[in-house]
Amino acid sequence: MTEHTHKPAIHLPPVAEIEQEVEEKAFKFSEWMAHQGIFVVTALLVIFAMLFVDGFASLPNITDVFNRAAPIGIVAAGMTFVVISGNYLDLSVVAQVATAGVVLIAVSNVFGLPVAILVAVAIALLYGLVNGIAVGVFKANAVIVTLSTTFIGLGLLRWLTGGSIYFGPNDGLIRAFGTARLGPLPLAMVLFVVVTLLLSLVLTRTTFGFMVRSYGSNREATRLAGVNTGKVVIGAFTMSALGAMLGGFVLAAFSNTAVSAMSTGYDFRSLAAIIVGGTSVFGGRGSVLRTLLGVVFVSVLTNIMVLSGLGFGVQQMAIGLLIVLAVSVDALARKGIAS
Amino acid sequence: MSESLELTPDEPGTVRTRTPIIEAHGIVKRFGGVIAVDDVSIAVESGEIHGLVGENGAGKSTLMRVLAGVLAPNEGAVRVDGEPLDPGNTRAALEAGVSLVHQELSLVPEMTVAENILLGSTPTRFGFVDTKEQRRIAVDALKEIGVSVDLDEPIARLSVAMRQFVEIARAIAREPQVLILDEPTATLTPAETEYLLDMLKRLAGRGLAIIYISHRIPEIFTICDRVTVLRDGRHVTTVEIGETTPGAVVQHMVGRELELELQEHREDPKIGEVVLSARGIRAPGVNAVDLEVRAGEIVGLGGLVGAGRTELVRAMIGADFRTGGEATITLGGTTRRVTSYRSAITAGVAYIPEERRTDGLALTMAVVDNITLPNRTALSRRSVLNRRRVKEFARSLADAVNLRPPEIQREVGQYSGGNQQKVVLAKWLGREPDVIILDEPTRGVDVGAKAEIHRLIYELADNGAAVLVVSSDLPELLDLADTIHVVRDGRVVGTLSGRDADETSVMALASGQVEADGS
Repeated sequence: MTEHTHKPAIHLPPVAEIEQEVEEKAFKFSEWMAHQGIFVVTALLVIFAMLFVDGFASLPNITDVFNRAAPIGIVAAGMTFVVISGNYLDLSVVAQVATAGVVLIAVSNVFGLPVAILVAVAIALLYGLVNGIAVGVFKANAVIVTLSTTFIGLGLLRWLTGGSIYFGPNDGLIRAFGTARLGPLPLAMVLFVVVTLLLSLVLTRTTFGFMVRSYGSNREATRLAGVNTGKVVIGAFTMSALGAMLGGFVLAAFSNTAVSAMSTGYDFRSLAAIIVGGTSVFGGRGSVLRTLLGVVFVSVLTNIMVLSGLGFGVQQMAIGLLIVLAVSVDALARKGIAS
Repeated sequence: MSESLELTPDEPGTVRTRTPIIEAHGIVKRFGGVIAVDDVSIAVESGEIHGLVGENGAGKSTLMRVLAGVLAPNEGAVRVDGEPLDPGNTRAALEAGVSLVHQELSLVPEMTVAENILLGSTPTRFGFVDTKEQRRIAVDALKEIGVSVDLDEPIARLSVAMRQFVEIARAIAREPQVLILDEPTATLTPAETEYLLDMLKRLAGRGLAIIYISHRIPEIFTICDRVTVLRDGRHVTTVEIGETTPGAVVQHMVGRELELELQEHREDPKIGEVVLSARGIRAPGVNAVDLEVRAGEIVGLGGLVGAGRTELVRAMIGADFRTGGEATITLGGTTRRVTSYRSAITAGVAYIPEERRTDGLALTMAVVDNITLPNRTALSRRSVLNRRRVKEFARSLADAVNLRPPEIQREVGQYSGGNQQKVVLAKWLGREPDVIILDEPTRGVDVGAKAEIHRLIYELADNGAAVLVVSSDLPELLDLADTIHVVRDGRVVGTLSGRDADETSVMALASGQVEADGS
């Protein structure tokens, strides 16, 4: 019998622990990169930024980074469920974030905040149900389904709003939430961390989270174990929809305005955060806490580019490049596992 | 260079040459910290059929994948016809004349027989597929192995056995000097196996070197000239087949004295009331089948591959679509109809599918996760898993099935076939099923694990479970079953008592030599 040495424990929830407790293997860069790389790379990036990027290491800038990271982070945390379930991604978060933001401001302007929240929750549940049924019950391709629901949702929103910008009242609760602080921390950031921890617990501790991971690892084996797989997929898309709704709230509250174009790029930036964090697009492996790290990485990277005066075009290219790199590392690591 | 190899004098009348056509020296292959092949050398001559045996995890498949250039060894080298082979280069190995027929079939189901035979070496003319040449090569290859099949038939429509033959034709079409077969008969019936063995003998007679991996010792003794035994990644022995016995080979394989005889029939099975009852089950490939399994009884379903046994059990419990009939589970006086697969599971059914890697296990997840899956409700409160209980539960089940090594946090995919099958059993044992359906429970499983799995099945029945076993392994079926239903063309064509049945009587029914006795 071979001796099993355990890698030094890094404190993460059970899924990640399981990954670490696998016996020590010969070092393989792609596998190390896919599983542990994010810790080192994020640390290096932050150190680099502190040393070489003017204006990075200031309290207003750091606060700004987290304020911007909060909505995308909440969206990505929810979408992590879809990725782990082996359904690639939920593109429709773009439509969902904008819809939630517009509903929050426009509807509460007329009917008050509670009604706005109820309407937004109903819309989120509808998105979860429609995406989930098409993908999980009808077995349609997730990329095409969510691309289509993006069109339906954004189209509907543009049609109803005519592309108008909605402003909240200056003395309203929404504005108060958007500017609130808990000590030195923006409330949005605290909410981001709380949501991440909560979703992390759902994924690692509940039977629902367990079934999402199992389904992502092997659909047929999970079905044959007596799991209602349709419900699992609907659940995963509903988590994604609720994350997108909260993300939309935070984004709208931040500026106290909402418009149908407010969420451009949220699909791929969330995906970048999830994959860079080390959650596998092949399903079955990953965690919400990893997504948190991925969000930090993507946000810091974006901030460095902004501070260095690089425009949106360059930022967009960088996100694209990052995704290609991360999925390639993911695929290489998987190949290592398969052989 | 071959000083370390024992070359034996040719027997008169064979075309074997003294120089090996393929030889591997000191091959070492590690996967991470695990050594799969540890300093193994092997040499095979033209015209020789060389058997390669060993328990699961002994390193047979890994060694063969090194020979075929699929894997690069960590140490050692392979030579074909004296020329060193580029390690880990499949194309180079093919060009040097080494063809591997994979354990898992690697054909494209949607493509035709001809297209599959030329897959990866499709002939072209001006950049377009040269269909005429493609058909010519395919016909030649099929002729060479003596199989007739429609070239334009999609693979998906062929039987498992025919797919296996097309796979061999594909290897032959590359005009190899060395043909490697990894458990080609695992899914074949006795008749098909015999056909395959004859085919291999013919091919060897024309000077082809064949390396033949099998768990079935009698096959090795039927066709092989020499046999090499591996154990735990190491070379144990290479002997002329005439100078050894099946018992000696098995002893080398397991490395210990083994009561090779699996447990015979249960002494006096206590058989109770009917638990599982199916009436007029219809599904694609299944034709109005009635079936009953009683508490404490082991019912076996025998028949040829493709007879419809898997389809029958899956339709019966709702795992696949059923076009007619109904199934019920009766326990403690209450009868419940099986309306969906989940209703069957809820009623106390456990189903161990034929394909453990694709249907039975989440290979990238840990043993503990796989065991938790069907037991998640029992291990949670208000949908929150109790992690301490999950671990204890998994540990006790891993012990119950004797998982080796018993590391519940280890990924299932890292275990050998026999241990993987034990995990499948463990996850269902946790539910204490009243009805347990096992489809090919020991396929691709080594001798030791097979005996343990049989013991578990007996135990289940002794504890009052209704057990239904589908098996193409006749001795297994005869050992296990109290009652054997033989299935042919989607119907039960005969029922035999496990006590009286023998291989001949089952095969006679399965192949249609004897007509049904009243069923």
